[in-house]
Amino acid sequence: MTIFSYTERAGPRTEEGDGLSVPWSRPSPKRKGVSARMISAVTILVVLAAWALSARLQLVSPVFLPSPVAVWNKFIVVIGDGFVDATLLQHTVASLGRVFAALVAAILVGVPVGLAIGTSTVGRGIFDPLLEFLRPIPPLAYLPLVIIWFGIGEPSKILVIAIAMLAPVALSTASGVRSVSQERINAARSLGATRAQVVRHVILPSALPSILTGLRIALGAGWSTLVAAELVAATRGLGFMIQSAAQFLVTDVVIMGILVIAAIAFVLEFTIRRIERALVPWAGRE
Amino acid sequence: MPHLVLDRISIHYDGHPAVERASIDVAGDDFVVLVGRSGCGKTSLLNVAAGLVTPVRGTATINGRPISAPGSDRAVVFQNDALFPWLTARENVAFALRLRGIRPAERARRADELLALVKLADAGDKHIWELSGGMRQRVGLARALAAEPQFLLLDEPLGALDALTRERMQTTLLDLWTASHAGVLMVTHGIEEALVLATRIVVLAPGPGRVVRTFEPDFSRRYAAGEAIRAIKADPAFATARGELTDAIFEGEAA
Repeated sequence: MTIFSYTERAGPRTEEGDGLSVPWSRPSPKRKGVSARMISAVTILVVLAAWALSARLQLVSPVFLPSPVAVWNKFIVVIGDGFVDATLLQHTVASLGRVFAALVAAILVGVPVGLAIGTSTVGRGIFDPLLEFLRPIPPLAYLPLVIIWFGIGEPSKILVIAIAMLAPVALSTASGVRSVSQERINAARSLGATRAQVVRHVILPSALPSILTGLRIALGAGWSTLVAAELVAATRGLGFMIQSAAQFLVTDVVIMGILVIAAIAFVLEFTIRRIERALVPWAGRE
Repeated sequence: MPHLVLDRISIHYDGHPAVERASIDVAGDDFVVLVGRSGCGKTSLLNVAAGLVTPVRGTATINGRPISAPGSDRAVVFQNDALFPWLTARENVAFALRLRGIRPAERARRADELLALVKLADAGDKHIWELSGGMRQRVGLARALAAEPQFLLLDEPLGALDALTRERMQTTLLDLWTASHAGVLMVTHGIEEALVLATRIVVLAPGPGRVVRTFEPDFSRRYAAGEAIRAIKADPAFATARGELTDAIFEGEAA
């Protein structure tokens, strides 16, 4: 996490030359021999090499630890022929569809709830205890209850993911709303803004950076909840694929599935950071 | 003529008196400046006029109507510009017009006129973070004027600027005051600034805040009549007035 944000920040921002990066504030990758990014690359190579070596020497049975090459080959095979009646792409689309449906639901509920917490005592009184109750519960704990209430269909899976996303979205929105500068609000009111206009034109845009951070955290939480949600009577999805593969002891698919989940999480994180920069270019420059 | 009256205002914070029976009167062509040591309640009084603070005693009225909430007839400019960084300079200036549902083309035209008035004709498309402190404060003034207020309430508008920019902004403020036909109520720490700008200076003393003296300098009227600002400041009468005002501000303070 820290390494990622460091390399990400040091990379594209300086290349763009955004007018703020002065030469002496720029971490220059050229001047010193070793950068954090290079060390990270070496670390990954060492882990891969250790994996390949132990597979090669058969330190562990290939049933439990297939070689990196075997996993890669399986990756190609599952892309083309599929695993348990669906190709890798179909599994991925099914999973992403659930996560994004849940994200939309979490935004539709979480942002208004966050606004209510941040702007009114009544809202805070109502929603704060509910969220604080919900936040620390692991999704696996409420999964059985959701199934009892809503069955094993698609809505249950989306609901479980959405519940995991709700608290980060709502709490980030609320903290963004609470940190809006009072001077800005007063300025808008003295220019004739009504209470609703202050929310729409001042509070929401001011809280946008914080809301986007909440979405980023929520996507991470939702993506990790995915496997749990797909344990339940799914016929498609990355979590389902891993779960079925584990039952048949197809370890290469399990490892491949884990790596795909990690890669997608990385891409999601990267994308939403891009979106943040495009939507709130003023963040950190005030 | 528009008339803003604070009549025997008392303000308490957490039960402690901050201002005691202060009266201030601003007519539509006045430039009233509040000066005084820290804790004398200058900003609190300005906030009463703005409708942001409710006094415990006394009445605040605009054109005879009691002030109970902020309104665009009294646009406020704060020390920290309080501009909206998600909008361009032009969109910031047009904010009040947007609130009133005026069409985009029309409000862009009005905003550009006002930007030209504060000598920022080319900065309309700039983002707020690309502007210097002085330019931001000009955008803030233009934004307040876009609401076509009867009164401008300025809370140390030049306080965050460097000395040279401050000096230049003083004449900008006078030009805007003349052009906008709005009465001004301003809070400042600058003694010279008060003398240059004000048609009336109200000196407040702390503990609790109260009005101790009133001056009616004519320097801003002389500037409006065409005299150069440097010549005004070089006038011996200006130095005399500065001495009197300084004495009034520090009167009663243990040396």
